[in-house]
Amino acid sequence: MRPWIATALTASTLAAGWMWLTLSGVVSDLFLPPPRELWDALLDLLQNGYKSRPLWEHIADSLIRVFTGFGLGAAIGTLLGLLMGYLPIVDALAAPFVEFLRPLPQLAYLVLLIIWLGIGETSKITLLFLAALPVSAVAARDGVRNVSQARVRVAQSLGASEWQIFRHVVFPSALAEIFTGARLAVGIVYGTLIASEIIAGTSGIGWMILDAGRFLRSDYVFVGILIIGFMGIALDRLLLAAEARWVHWAGRL
Amino acid sequence: MHDWRSLALGSLSVATGLIVWYLIGALNLVSTDLLAGPADVWAALVDILHNGYRDTTLAQNILATLGRCLAGFAAAAMLGVPLGLWMGLSRMADAAINFVIQFLRPLPPLSYLVLLILWFGTGDLSKIALLFMGAFPTITTAAMAGARQVSAQRIQAARSLGATPRQVLFFVVFPASLSTIFIGLRIALAGAFSSVVAAELMAASDGLGWMVFSASRFLRTDIILLGIILLGLFGMGLSRTLVVIDNRLIHWRGRE
Repeated sequence: MRPWIATALTASTLAAGWMWLTLSGVVSDLFLPPPRELWDALLDLLQNGYKSRPLWEHIADSLIRVFTGFGLGAAIGTLLGLLMGYLPIVDALAAPFVEFLRPLPQLAYLVLLIIWLGIGETSKITLLFLAALPVSAVAARDGVRNVSQARVRVAQSLGASEWQIFRHVVFPSALAEIFTGARLAVGIVYGTLIASEIIAGTSGIGWMILDAGRFLRSDYVFVGILIIGFMGIALDRLLLAAEARWVHWAGRL
Repeated sequence: MHDWRSLALGSLSVATGLIVWYLIGALNLVSTDLLAGPADVWAALVDILHNGYRDTTLAQNILATLGRCLAGFAAAAMLGVPLGLWMGLSRMADAAINFVIQFLRPLPPLSYLVLLILWFGTGDLSKIALLFMGAFPTITTAAMAGARQVSAQRIQAARSLGATPRQVLFFVVFPASLSTIFIGLRIALAGAFSSVVAAELMAASDGLGWMVFSASRFLRTDIILLGIILLGLFGMGLSRTLVVIDNRLIHWRGRE
């Protein structure tokens, strides 16, 4: 048996199981919509949007939040991490806060942000910023720390200045880990986004899923989950492509 | 830098943070409704330890959160590690199962929480199912990657010495993949801890996440901050525990 046959077998078993469960009435449409209904819901969302907003607007709203929060958090976090890796004193001062923030569930401080900044975009973007910051900082710090000392010495003995060493030796070596951190951060930001839209929102894909859930429209919920899944994969691919372009030497040193 | 110096600087920076936090309240820079001071948070802790919070004790809330988190995580680890190892060793298993796992993996757990609540109700079952589904793909993928990178020479060496497939699995493949498995376990546990709080915000009647969310309705920033600090400490504790177990268990790391 060839491997693809195994893939096809599981896929068709799952599809057949889904159809049998829904069409025979064993499971109510409320819990698991049949394929046909899912397709209709997708077409309906594409044509009429959800709650008087077109579907692309919900997607765009979510993406803008992700990119702004992640962009700010990753940029500042990376900067902080590079400093932490380079200057032990910055590391000692900042490490307690970064280490505390990193494992802290993001939703725990969302309520505080809502009290401070309201339920608008500011609190959501601040939340995503805080979610991306510690992961990026730790990745950049470890990246700087793992730079091979032999290379730094070679550059030094060839007469490179401190800045030249940073610009041409340390930063490029750390870039691979910075990208790994960025991919982790996107995953966390993306998961947090859904949460922030669920707790306080009027637009976005996460909000659409919860709102549809309230009205027991599980067909919309399923379509929303599929959209979120594909958007997540696309985001990760985008970062992988950027990494392949800018850190083409990763894993080939 | 010496360890004690960085420890001293770290404590100094935490102390400065506490003083700034205290001064913000003491100098009335921000209303205490918006940001309770350190003294208020301490008072809230003492009060909750004595009287509990809305008919729940602090210990009960902590145990509820940790219990859910560990139950979902343990179930995912017990199923994910063997499945991942199997997928790493057998191309058939990989082809049959991997695409389902890789579809689940990038999904933010909260996106399907609505469905799980619909299916399993608002009780503990839907939360544990949520944590399980969040942790399971990560752990399985890590175990699979671990089993794949075991050197073929070692497996062949064990085989040529007459090891049975079972012995190869338990004494060669499993120990050699442990390091990678632990990376997956750490990522999964951090994710589960985040998700459990989110789930408690949506539907629960106990747990630290519920306490924080319930306090926010009454603008009790002292209780919110107390909850955040406790969650941060437990989050750090959970991840440290795994690191310690990891180092104990894989005592041969870096000495191969």
